[in-house]
Amino acid sequence: MSRSPSPRPGGWSSPGLNTPYDSGGRSSPFANGSSSSNNVTWASAQARSANVKGYTAFAPRNQGFFGKHFRRLSTSLPFSYGEKEKLGRGRGYQGNNKILQMLNRIGWNLWRLRKPLGTILTIILLYILFYATPLHRVYRRSWFGGGSKFVVILAANQGGGVMEWKGPREWAIERDSVKNKKKYTQKWGYDLEIVDMSTKKRYAHEWRESWEKVDTIRNAMRKYPRAEWFWWLDTNTFIMEPNYSLQNHIFKQLKDVTYRDINHYNPLNISHPLTDEYLDPETRSPVGDGKADSINMIVPQDCGGFNLGSFFVRRSVWTDRLMDIWWDPVGYEQKHMEWEHKEQDALEYMYKNQPWIRPHLAFIGQRKINAFPPGACGEKGDDPHIHYKEKERDFLVNMAGCEWGRDCWGEMYRYRQLSNRLNRNPWEKFKDAISDFFKARRDAKKKKQEQQKKTN
Amino acid sequence: MHFAMPPRKTSRPPPYAARNQSSLPIPPALKNLLRGGKLRTTALGILGFLTLIWLLRRTGSDAGANIPKVAIGSGPPVVVVTTIDPKADRVWADKIKKNREDYAKKHGYLTFFPENNQYPLNKSPHTWSKVPALRHAMTLYPGSTFFWYLDSAALIMNPSIDLQSHILKPSRLEELMITNEPVVPPDSVIKTFGNLKGDRIDFIVTQDKEGLVPTSMIVRNGEWAKYFLDAWFDPIYRSYNFQKAESHALEHIVQWHGTILAKLALIPQNILNSYATGPSNPKFGKYKEGDLVANFPGCARDKHDCAAEQKAYFDILEKDDD
Repeated sequence: MSRSPSPRPGGWSSPGLNTPYDSGGRSSPFANGSSSSNNVTWASAQARSANVKGYTAFAPRNQGFFGKHFRRLSTSLPFSYGEKEKLGRGRGYQGNNKILQMLNRIGWNLWRLRKPLGTILTIILLYILFYATPLHRVYRRSWFGGGSKFVVILAANQGGGVMEWKGPREWAIERDSVKNKKKYTQKWGYDLEIVDMSTKKRYAHEWRESWEKVDTIRNAMRKYPRAEWFWWLDTNTFIMEPNYSLQNHIFKQLKDVTYRDINHYNPLNISHPLTDEYLDPETRSPVGDGKADSINMIVPQDCGGFNLGSFFVRRSVWTDRLMDIWWDPVGYEQKHMEWEHKEQDALEYMYKNQPWIRPHLAFIGQRKINAFPPGACGEKGDDPHIHYKEKERDFLVNMAGCEWGRDCWGEMYRYRQLSNRLNRNPWEKFKDAISDFFKARRDAKKKKQEQQKKTN
Repeated sequence: MHFAMPPRKTSRPPPYAARNQSSLPIPPALKNLLRGGKLRTTALGILGFLTLIWLLRRTGSDAGANIPKVAIGSGPPVVVVTTIDPKADRVWADKIKKNREDYAKKHGYLTFFPENNQYPLNKSPHTWSKVPALRHAMTLYPGSTFFWYLDSAALIMNPSIDLQSHILKPSRLEELMITNEPVVPPDSVIKTFGNLKGDRIDFIVTQDKEGLVPTSMIVRNGEWAKYFLDAWFDPIYRSYNFQKAESHALEHIVQWHGTILAKLALIPQNILNSYATGPSNPKFGKYKEGDLVANFPGCARDKHDCAAEQKAYFDILEKDDD
């Protein structure tokens, strides 16, 4: 063997056993065992450490009560591990073993995965908390949600008051309409401004009848100084899809859902764009400057032209000017016999004759914000531009003109029911499905019985 | 030295082998974050890419209709606009044009002389043409800030006066503005606003004995000007048979529409529109020597001869030139 024993007295130095005082085995191998002060013996080291620790070198285990009896105590406890094993073995004969094992495994796995599981659980809990408490409303209203940028102006009591006595049906219509908008605005954190149009009826003998719309919007703008968009709604409207937010439905893709070139849908045959050479290129352009942020008013068009039953205006200097010039006594004096729809006709007139309006007014598909029921703009209700389609889940129904020969309350009731049915939650759908199933069976049975009776 | 066994490779490798030093000095914290294998790097890469797309979309999505926009104020400061009647005496018309051109050249302004029948007036009086003429001038010279309409019956008598320091400087305009004055004398309930700032004024006009006179007026280029001129030019006013056509229409819209009145500055008549003849403002309307403008309102109407009426004044101007 090449590993021969040490040729020198003193042996191999073992570094682990050397004390710090030892300056290294090999450097002074011969001093080993001699009377050098560097040398530390086992006994002396033990004595020194005993001094430091302060107790005797020999300390037997299992001293004291716990030390003596710990094992016995722990095995007698109900959760003893040693005992459990025995129990498990015992129960194996009773046939519970597999279930218990499975439970055990599941528990063990859950415990092992406690970190990711805990995070997921916390997220779910926070999610539920967010939607179960008004927290989500606070968020939607805030700057992040953007809800406070929108105000819904609902004209209540239209045509009520002095001119007509309101019956229970009118009251019911109004109650439903208001409730519908209240729910919607609360859900998305918008502001709702309900304006009583009947009070203004004292102007009926004066010029400004029906132009109160302008005054009302102006008041709302003053009342909600932080809001940007104001949505005018007539009484006879119903929001069919309260789950659509205005942001997602319209304003996030404003450029795509609106059109500024009226030739896209032009029931009034307005010639567009303007061609007079004295006008600037932006005014002559069919789409203004084509940018979404130059849109200051959004108006739907029905079969007869602009429809102001549901439209948006934005707070801007342009809007101020429009609302200022909208009603003019000279225009009124000349045209009030001709302008049956008052402010609506006046707006159409201004759109035709005052070029500055065109680059900032955009149109929107009627069905986006103002779908009609059958009876308005055609009895059948099959115009794909105008009439409400249940399948496509149109946002809002405007029962325009229902007070002339149609049943306003009937329509309102029908659309409310429809909206409720379309927007059931899964649990409600499930319950309805079950009840429908039994109903259908019962009906089928009855029919059979009747048929049998007939055949008999 | 001699070893009994050949030296062995160490069984304990150094815990961290130094990586190839990259040229980019990355802070150690970030380096630690990035040191997670391929997965993390790809995730970070994707995140960075998405951020980039988001940023680009934010800035560059709204391209619009690509209409060239000229910044207001980038061109000559003032454009002098005068509508010329094509049926008027050529010699006289040329003299009127030269009067404006001399003035404009002196101060670096521009001139614009459209004919008063070139706009679609629809049978309304030709005096209405000043409104689309101003709009037209703004279309042609979008970089200019102020557009001075001066009627063809008026002469610029003191070409040395610079409009900027004479009227347009905000502080000067605030001094000149007549506030709380009935828009239509003597007792209209609508009065000019006080507390208007000079730099917020978009329309400068004067008043003679009978009311606002749009024969010499200054409009600032911008969105308001489009609104104002288009509203004024509405066919509804043109077909209404106002007694004095566009000037009564102007009085009408100023009195009924606050957004117009709020941009209007009424200044003393002799600053912008002194009358050599006619019903001048009793306080300060009569032409004196040194005034910017001498106006001969109505000289073109009723077979009056503007050239004859203005002869003495043209003589003075020509003498100054020599």
